[in-house]
Amino acid sequence: MDNDRYAYAVGRIRAMETSLLDRGKIERMVEASGAEEALKVLGESEYAEYIASLASVYDYETMLDQVLHRVYRELRRFAPDPELVGLFACRYDYHNLKVLFKAYKMGEERDELLVRDVGNIPLTVLQRAVHDDDYRSLPRAMRDAAKQIAEALRLEANPQLVDLLLDRAMFTEMVEISQQFDSPFLHDYLAFQIDLLNVKTYLRVKRANLSREFLEQALLPLGRLDLTKLVQLADPPEVLADRLLSSSYASFMEEAIQSFQKTDTLTRFEKLVDDFLLEHVKKAKYVAFGLEPLAAFILAKENEVKLIRIIMVGKINRLPVEEIKERLRDVYV
Amino acid sequence: MEIGLGLGILGAAVATLLAGIGSAIGIGIAGQSSAGVISEDPDKFGLTIVLTALPGTQGIYGLIMGFLILFRTGIMGGEILALTTPQGLGLLFAALPIGFVGWYSAIYQGKAAAASIQMIAKRPEEFGKAMIYPVMVETYAVFALLMSIMIFMFLPF
Repeated sequence: MDNDRYAYAVGRIRAMETSLLDRGKIERMVEASGAEEALKVLGESEYAEYIASLASVYDYETMLDQVLHRVYRELRRFAPDPELVGLFACRYDYHNLKVLFKAYKMGEERDELLVRDVGNIPLTVLQRAVHDDDYRSLPRAMRDAAKQIAEALRLEANPQLVDLLLDRAMFTEMVEISQQFDSPFLHDYLAFQIDLLNVKTYLRVKRANLSREFLEQALLPLGRLDLTKLVQLADPPEVLADRLLSSSYASFMEEAIQSFQKTDTLTRFEKLVDDFLLEHVKKAKYVAFGLEPLAAFILAKENEVKLIRIIMVGKINRLPVEEIKERLRDVYV
Repeated sequence: MEIGLGLGILGAAVATLLAGIGSAIGIGIAGQSSAGVISEDPDKFGLTIVLTALPGTQGIYGLIMGFLILFRTGIMGGEILALTTPQGLGLLFAALPIGFVGWYSAIYQGKAAAASIQMIAKRPEEFGKAMIYPVMVETYAVFALLMSIMIFMFLPF
């Protein structure tokens, strides 16, 4: 009975889903002869209104920012539990905080990377916090991590540490928010994401020949796999694929690890991970009353934005069609 | 007033009351989903209105049963019957099938209708199929009304 309050929101989401780009349109964008042409194909969808105000094709990032901004604003308006939107929005706060730390403490000014008006915390609050070194206004997990980073940055400039501590705080906060929802869909999604990020960290640490201590520090807690127990750093990567045969990740892990060994890059691995996560997200299509379709819509839209970015970067850099296709992810619809 | 007559009136009230509550909840759920769809795509009003109205039938069945019972007791014009307690109970029992089945079937029909409305948002061309699932719930409300009327008709007075 309780989930009936989602009846309105899910109805609205289902109608909004009709404007998501389908495979056909994505493929036509990829096949387009150039960046201009690709944008023209995109203009046949609801992106038309954004494209009209673009100064040039290189400006597509502002369009993608606007799209994200609108999705979050709309969903915040009609979601029965705005905390659900906050759960996904907090990722942008952490992202912004990373950029700000690197800007203020390490002199890497990358203002264009900041995402405005999407996260839970206004950018000015984050800016003031980092600028004044006063983190009291931030949520708990973020505050603790920020203090620790500020402390460490006084001794040495270590961008890796910024990412590490903030990622850890971010997943802690996300898992914490997700606890108030009785949704295995949500809990699984976060656990999958953490586990797969950890597998990626393991492969990276291995490739860079770093120590076991470093790996232990870099792994995120709160996942379901304990990688340090599962494999040794000295083991060849196939061992990890073997050990994961009975896990939820068996379907693609072997291919993912093989491609990593063959190419020594994580491009294919990341694509397979994204597709696996999206496959999980697709389960929300069969939920009529519940938060799942809302969460799925946010993730589907973010996936779409990512696809457009991959295509536009490819088109602007004149990559061959095949190469862009290799990087493309699945679509939600 | 005899207790038998009172029980008969209670029957009329129960049939209308329970089935009516169910229909209100059912239409409420379906209506919310419709509003969600319409806020994005107002052209679908025509399709959603049919599905939204479906859980309303139970309330009508309950009302019909209520009227039948009231007419029989004679309080709506005519001569008021002096019903015995067993006769009054008979009328009350006649009200129960449509009262209870109407109540629950309308809620679940509302949920099925809401799901179909969400489906229409994506595939309006499949309206016919979307219609069938909530209509299947209707069967049991009709059976209940049938049994209510049978009991009512074969009451031995």
